[in-house]
Amino acid sequence: MTAFLAIVLTGLGTYASRAVFIVALGQRRFPPLILRVLEYVAPAVLGALVVSMLTTADGTVLIGLPELAGLACAAAVAWTTRNHIFTLLAAMVVFWTLRSLGL
Amino acid sequence: MMTKGRGRRVQCRAMTKTLTHIRRGIADTLPLFVPVVPFALVFGVVVGESGIAPWLGWSTSPIIFGGAAQITLLSLLGEGASVAAAVTAALIVGARHLLYSVTMAPRFQNQPRWFRWVGPYMLIDQVFALSMLRQEDDPHAFRVYFLSTGLCFWSLWLFFTAVGLFIGPLVPSQWGLVFAAPVLFTALLVMALNSWDKLAVALLAGGVTVLFSELPNRTGLLVGALLGIAMGLLLELRRSRS
Repeated sequence: MTAFLAIVLTGLGTYASRAVFIVALGQRRFPPLILRVLEYVAPAVLGALVVSMLTTADGTVLIGLPELAGLACAAAVAWTTRNHIFTLLAAMVVFWTLRSLGL
Repeated sequence: MMTKGRGRRVQCRAMTKTLTHIRRGIADTLPLFVPVVPFALVFGVVVGESGIAPWLGWSTSPIIFGGAAQITLLSLLGEGASVAAAVTAALIVGARHLLYSVTMAPRFQNQPRWFRWVGPYMLIDQVFALSMLRQEDDPHAFRVYFLSTGLCFWSLWLFFTAVGLFIGPLVPSQWGLVFAAPVLFTALLVMALNSWDKLAVALLAGGVTVLFSELPNRTGLLVGALLGIAMGLLLELRRSRS
């Protein structure tokens, strides 16, 4: 029962954090400076999220040569092809190859 | 008769357009879901180890609908943390949604009220990143695209977390399939870059996250993201002054 309470509370909190500005700022005008700064949210969060995904729960960052090469390859393929599937295949092949070579 | 026929033709064209947006939404969702599959299996392992009833653990998928927050909450509850501590940690992990909410708010202003209430439920990382790439769409196209990516992710996540409960404990972690997640988020990042300033902000945010990676509950992610945005603010302030 306590577990279910925790789940419901987290669900409500998560929804609230996603909805608060969308619902509250429904009709308000945004100052142009804010709108321009908001454009940096996606690059900043995505940059931080990529690193966070390579981090274990106890805070160790797992970035070796295979990871770096895989991500560099992902960036290059995504930039030139703008295609998620090509990006995924190319980066995983680079990552698996380097890792199996023991680099 | 003439006008009726033309009306139907216009309606038909609108339908075709809507279908195009739905198809594009689903096509963009599927590759992004690939790395979510091992994540759903990890979820299954966590539920199994937490000692919480599987159906109760799975109920976090529709109730919370946020993988990182779900896994944090269940693993902490399993470790015997108090409700307050586990919920706080899970909400800190999910705090980046506040940023998504601010960022998306302008795009929701010219939307119907029901969508302003329903849309946020599906505002997960991937839906945010994908719909940010559709800034130029008209309100209707934006709404259809957002809902189709959101619902597609939602149904796949509910299905695969259920599957994960059964096979999560069986998949070898040496496959390294989890690496697909940072790869696809790098792709999303690169596609969102259209200036050197944004690249600098992304690198700063990532670097700071590494520096603060030992903070508990992945707070480093928030610190990195916030410092990145602060740098964006400084860059824009300097630009508007000159």
